[in-house]
Amino acid sequence: MLLVVGPSGSGKSTLARAVAGLVPWQFPGEWQGSLRVGDVEVAGDDGGGDSSAPISTSSLGAGIVLQDPGSQLVMERVGDDVAFGLENLGWARAAMRPRVGEALAGVGLAGFDGRRSARLSGGEQQRVAIAGVLAPGPGVLVLDEPTAQLDPPGAEAVFRILRSIREREGATIVLVEHRAALAWPLADVVLALDDEGRPIDVGLPPDVLRRSGPKLAKAGIWLPDDATGTADAPAPRRRRGTPSAGPPSKRVVASDPVLDVRELRFGFTPSVPVLRSIDLAIEPGERVAVVGRNGSGKTTLLRLALGLLEPVGGTVRLGGHDPRRLSAVQLARLAGSVTQDPELGFLGESVQEEIEIGLEPGQVAAAHKLAEQLRLPLANFADRSPYRLSGGEQRRLSLVTALTRRPALLALDEPTYGQDRRGHEALVAALDELVGEGSAILAATHDERFVRDATGRRVELADGWIATDEPVERRSAAS
Amino acid sequence: MTAAAFLAPEIGVEQSESVLGRTNPLLKLGIALAWLIGLGLTLDVRPPLILTFVALVAGLQLGGIPPGTLARRLAPLILAAVAVALTNLLFSTHNPDPAATELARIGPLRITAEALTAAAGLGARVASIVSVGAVFALTTDPTRIMDALVQQARVSPRFGYGLLAAYQAVPRLADDLATLRGARRLRGLRDLDPRLLVGLLVRAIRHADQLSIAMDARGFGAGPRSVYRPISWSRRDAVVGATALVILVAALLASRGGAA
Repeated sequence: MLLVVGPSGSGKSTLARAVAGLVPWQFPGEWQGSLRVGDVEVAGDDGGGDSSAPISTSSLGAGIVLQDPGSQLVMERVGDDVAFGLENLGWARAAMRPRVGEALAGVGLAGFDGRRSARLSGGEQQRVAIAGVLAPGPGVLVLDEPTAQLDPPGAEAVFRILRSIREREGATIVLVEHRAALAWPLADVVLALDDEGRPIDVGLPPDVLRRSGPKLAKAGIWLPDDATGTADAPAPRRRRGTPSAGPPSKRVVASDPVLDVRELRFGFTPSVPVLRSIDLAIEPGERVAVVGRNGSGKTTLLRLALGLLEPVGGTVRLGGHDPRRLSAVQLARLAGSVTQDPELGFLGESVQEEIEIGLEPGQVAAAHKLAEQLRLPLANFADRSPYRLSGGEQRRLSLVTALTRRPALLALDEPTYGQDRRGHEALVAALDELVGEGSAILAATHDERFVRDATGRRVELADGWIATDEPVERRSAAS
Repeated sequence: MTAAAFLAPEIGVEQSESVLGRTNPLLKLGIALAWLIGLGLTLDVRPPLILTFVALVAGLQLGGIPPGTLARRLAPLILAAVAVALTNLLFSTHNPDPAATELARIGPLRITAEALTAAAGLGARVASIVSVGAVFALTTDPTRIMDALVQQARVSPRFGYGLLAAYQAVPRLADDLATLRGARRLRGLRDLDPRLLVGLLVRAIRHADQLSIAMDARGFGAGPRSVYRPISWSRRDAVVGATALVILVAALLASRGGAA
């Protein structure tokens, strides 16, 4: 198994797609050098222009699992989806049935044949995708950040599956992954890329760590021995007797909460409640992390707090007002948000336009500085389309637009998806600054490292209730 | 989970295992089309009412559709049928015609018997179309229609399964639209704006792109396919088809007899 690591925007995904035969065939571009998968040359020195038949992933005997669990399941039902690849290869029906069952059992989903893919959790969907790709028995299995959108239990399940595939099947695995603590122990070989996509080092994991550990860390790559392994390290225990206050927060005596949620109930249909009775008050300068499994209602709670959904019962007060009754201009002054999928928040056609939309002339300079701080210097990014940035860059752009307005409440939905170490640190620093000015933060996240580094209070949702609500022992902001 | 639940209702085991659920989807599609074409032959109110009644009873009895589900799906559509009938009743071209028989007068509006007949016929026809459609939709798994179209009607798998995949992405786009509007509101902009379409279009293209990559990566269209879920004709199909034809003919005869 080959593990590919590198900072955000270093070309990891491009490499993975090349191995799967998608680059340069589905994603054209300039190509130099050659790449062979098994006996097949994916593309020669000149980009494979002289090859008559285009290469496809399955003709390479390869399979690829992508980041977004939702958009790679083709058929409505799990069994049909796993069989889809077999049908395309013309397998006999008698051979397909047992193979589908086997593949599903292999990812721990035996008996899921008739279930609807859309009704599964993200982790389960990703395992269905793996089963579908594995069913035809590919020689090369490529996974491009397969756990990026999963909660910790979902990610661990995927890695358990990968471990057993590695031991059981003869397939070569190429894995692109940020979760160092889970991925490094499985790797036979690690390839580390730098910002420009050049290899920093390649070799056995312990050798790479010893030779180039500091270099990797400097390039923004997460390492397995970070005391702060992404989202998979156990949460630190609170020391008794030291309820940690947030950092330099302006905690005025008995200040009015910026967000006050009482007995909030919500469900998209009456029979399926998402939130049952939520009480949550957030003071100015407070930073609250909302955690919980995929589908536990974190995003829904954020959207209710911002007045984007109508509660079934209970009240929401944002700065003392019902956010649903505020005008857009008033709401924008009070609250800012970064959605889980930043693309859905973009309004401009270039990064510069995106940052400057709706700003007063006096705010523009500060916005540019913020972009610089969040590693999106306008010198390089001004004219680029927001839709063509990497996932991590898109999220930071969305943060710039939300932070510039200095909202009283900043709602963040999974702010650390796709962030490398430097993106993470820049994010934590920018949030520190914002909170220092009295803003409050409400962040939905799976990332325990972010909880520890950037928040002071951890609220866990389960079954529509607040299961726990406790202060977080915060690491010093400098580390 | 959000908009998806409303736009694509789930077909329960009871429906998919019912007589109608196990009937060949192409046959059901054929029956629905034959009934609709048959209704085009008459303007009378009776045939569409008979077919509406038969469709609903069949849906409940032979299709295993829970009455509540059927009622919820049909309520807005029946309302539309009533609206169509009312509009035609009030604003029919028959009304100003002095030769027509006057039934009532509401202020400046004159309502005639001819208008009533035409409006009732139209409303009943809309009601029958939506009822047949709802019963078809609530007893048929979209995947099975496509399987049948590809296997039996020789529709190209590339077109058929591509369309099916796109169909499944529709609820997702509805969710995207809600998020886009929220994002605009939070930036202090009106939440309804033509520029929303740009964002939505980008999303739709991106979804389509990812899906087609995922499909191609799994060897779709690379060569001859085999079939995981074969769809075949059975004796049940013959019985259901014949019965449906008899009912259609009987309904049409009812109109002739009545009109004569």
